[in-house]
Amino acid sequence: MRRFVLFFLIALCVGPSFCVAADLPKTFQEANTSYRTGDYAKASELYESLIAQEPRRAVFYYNLGNAYVRLGALSKAILNYEKALLLDPRNADIRANLNYARGLLEYRVEDTRNWYIKATGAVLRSMTEQEVNTVALATLFIFLAGGILFFLRGRGVFWSFWRRFLFMILLIAGLVVFGKQAQDNLLRDAVVMQKECEARYGPSEHDQVAFRMGEGIKVFVVDRREDWSRVLLTNGESGWVKDSDIAEVKI
Amino acid sequence: MRKILFILAVLGCAFAPRLDAEEVRVSASLNKRSVQVGEDLRLNIRVTGQTMNLQAPRLPALDGFEAYYTGRASHIAFVNGVSSSNVEFSYTLIPQRAGRFTINSVDVQVGQNVLRTEPLEIEVIGGQAQPARTQPSPQTVPAMQAPAPMRTGNDQNYTVSPGTDDNIFVQAGLDKKEAYQNEQVLLTYTLFTRYDTRYEGFEREPETSGFWIEEFPMDRDVPRETVRTNGKRYVKADVKKLALFPTAPGNYTIKPGSLKVSIREEPQGSSAFDEFFSDSFFTGGSFFARRQNRLLEPPPIQLTVKPLPEERKPASFQGAVGSFRMTALIDKDKVKQNEPITLKMIIEGDGNIETLTRPKVPALTGFKTYDADTNSKLFQTDNVIGGTKSFEVVFIPKDEGKSFIPPLEFSYFDPRQRKYVTLRTPNFPVEVEHSDQAFQMPQELAGNSIFQKRVKSEGKDIRYINEKLPDISKMRTSDTVYKALLWGNALLFILLIALWMKDRQDRLFSKDEALRRRKTARSTAMANMSRLKKLARSSKEEDVALFFVELEKAMTQYIADKWNFSTYGVTRRDLEETLTAHFGAGDAHLQDVLELFRLCDESRFGKGSIPAASKKIGLKIFEDAVNRIERMRK
Repeated sequence: MRRFVLFFLIALCVGPSFCVAADLPKTFQEANTSYRTGDYAKASELYESLIAQEPRRAVFYYNLGNAYVRLGALSKAILNYEKALLLDPRNADIRANLNYARGLLEYRVEDTRNWYIKATGAVLRSMTEQEVNTVALATLFIFLAGGILFFLRGRGVFWSFWRRFLFMILLIAGLVVFGKQAQDNLLRDAVVMQKECEARYGPSEHDQVAFRMGEGIKVFVVDRREDWSRVLLTNGESGWVKDSDIAEVKI
Repeated sequence: MRKILFILAVLGCAFAPRLDAEEVRVSASLNKRSVQVGEDLRLNIRVTGQTMNLQAPRLPALDGFEAYYTGRASHIAFVNGVSSSNVEFSYTLIPQRAGRFTINSVDVQVGQNVLRTEPLEIEVIGGQAQPARTQPSPQTVPAMQAPAPMRTGNDQNYTVSPGTDDNIFVQAGLDKKEAYQNEQVLLTYTLFTRYDTRYEGFEREPETSGFWIEEFPMDRDVPRETVRTNGKRYVKADVKKLALFPTAPGNYTIKPGSLKVSIREEPQGSSAFDEFFSDSFFTGGSFFARRQNRLLEPPPIQLTVKPLPEERKPASFQGAVGSFRMTALIDKDKVKQNEPITLKMIIEGDGNIETLTRPKVPALTGFKTYDADTNSKLFQTDNVIGGTKSFEVVFIPKDEGKSFIPPLEFSYFDPRQRKYVTLRTPNFPVEVEHSDQAFQMPQELAGNSIFQKRVKSEGKDIRYINEKLPDISKMRTSDTVYKALLWGNALLFILLIALWMKDRQDRLFSKDEALRRRKTARSTAMANMSRLKKLARSSKEEDVALFFVELEKAMTQYIADKWNFSTYGVTRRDLEETLTAHFGAGDAHLQDVLELFRLCDESRFGKGSIPAASKKIGLKIFEDAVNRIERMRK
């Protein structure tokens, strides 16, 4: 009896996940078929449901972005391409379609940041947070293992050059982890979702309008006050927008 | 560190922007590196790359040389609207003296940029002296040094600017006051002088924006004549000639720039006129002659450029103005399917040959067509710029049977007749035999990338959805590796800290034995206690005595370790005194400990039987004593 109860409990815990996993491919195929036959509205609904079940698959966001491009919902398309890039940052198809969708926007923002900021941003964006952390942890693992062997054997394990080299790599990995954390958490990416969005000099309707943006423009959220967010653009402009006007790029 | 820098440098090089393979390059070359004095030497300046409408570069001052521009030759290939050209400007240099010379970089104007050639080294060895030449001169353009036959011209009147020396002046003149767009106009600089004069070249270049300029090579022996003007006799010589081709209609004011000459200080008197025409005139003068430089600035000139008539302008007209002839030929008239036929058209005549473009090829359904080579060569006849230009077009027949290459039209405007003229290539019949071979780039064209059509985007759209569900096991594996590394690092970190602390403790203990014993006394006592507990559980009679022996040893060792006594040399009295000093003489627990020592002695010496229950009490007393001493020490 006790064995039966144990089996029942395990089945209760693990079962739903298997059911979801078994259902995914079928829904995915159905969504793809809808896209192929031109039923983009249904395809987008199905991709949305897939994301709700399994939010860590870049392919769902990418295909959803494509469906939104076909439906003419550029801001939603760009938001989903951006999310897809968070999970699969080196995917050329996602980048190409994101650039295509941006090319259809009414507004365009010049990137006037310094070249080294652009380069650093590009390098950090080419890796996921988990990849960066894994590389840093692997380096740290080797470094710690070397330290332990030093105490156990009573002498240095690596040659002098490699010890220094490893230490430098560890430092660089640490910096990259720090940079990635800063990129993901200090400057949070967001996309303007409204057709017209007014950025103001302060977080209220009484403040003067600083500039206007259109849908799909990418901004960086640097501060929040109740229902308002302070956003920064790549051309250096900064202003306060309503939270409802933007959507943060996060999984 | 150096290795890292090296790696960074290699990475830097790898990501450095690639040089454009199609960029314009200039180079200079000499046909020989060693010449004799007076021997001709050819200097070629070659411009390669995607460029057209180049003007002949002006040479810098060449010390020890006379220099003459002798013309240009060009080779241009047009493919799919992209041109790559190769233009060569030729100059003849005549060394004046022996020695080793450097021909400095020559500036070549290519569009808005000025490119420079590399300097060249040349060795001039002593040879036969030039009989007609005098001492070396710094001239950089044709010097009027050699004697020439002279003629006496008519008396003419020229205006000399007031306040200037009327013994020497320059007139710049055009051969016509009105011209059509793209028609050649000849600009001549004529020097009138009564001095012993040497022409040095342009001090300031003429301002001729709106014109394509072609320079006439000047003869080494400049023809000159005597003329009478303004009541004086002058020697007159055309020192410079430029062919101008106006590129757009309108009224133009040409500023001729200024010319530099050097003269002997005194003008030649009429009485010495014969001498004036002797070898000393237009030469460097006598060896001791003092010379001075003069700048001569001719007045500006007006020119009216008329647009080409729109009336009866042929559809095939592409801007050619002049007088031309055209010949055409094909390399074969019987081919197999997909085999190339080359049509060569040669246009020859007077006019700006460089600007001629290939006759248009009509859209042909039965042929694939490829633009091929274009070659041009300029030459001057009298005062007219002319030349030949050849175009090659490759036709590849797609279908078998009899076909023909249709006539291609070339039209030009003849300014003398004031009408358009159209020339046509013949209608070339070709016979195409059947071939099963599929189309492929002809061997003579293969390997030459300019003949290949470029792949280009014809529209833009999003890339298609990804229909393949990625393997979830990869994601899980990476998650597992990540978690394993996270926990592994945590464990390794704790282990490393523990090892570091142990290492530090070992180092301390190695320096202070008493400290080591004091610090390890409790752990040793605990180890002994667990051993005693096992022994206490034994029901054997002999194990009771052994238990108390071991208990006495354990207690003695603990107290000796704690107060750094020798384990083997410590006496019971030492122990009692130490414990009394710390517990106090009347302490109950001290009495228990002392009683326990006595019990152990009894057990060891067999003075009476000890009940098994005493083992538990003994252990308890030992444990309490250890705990109490540990607390006291803290």
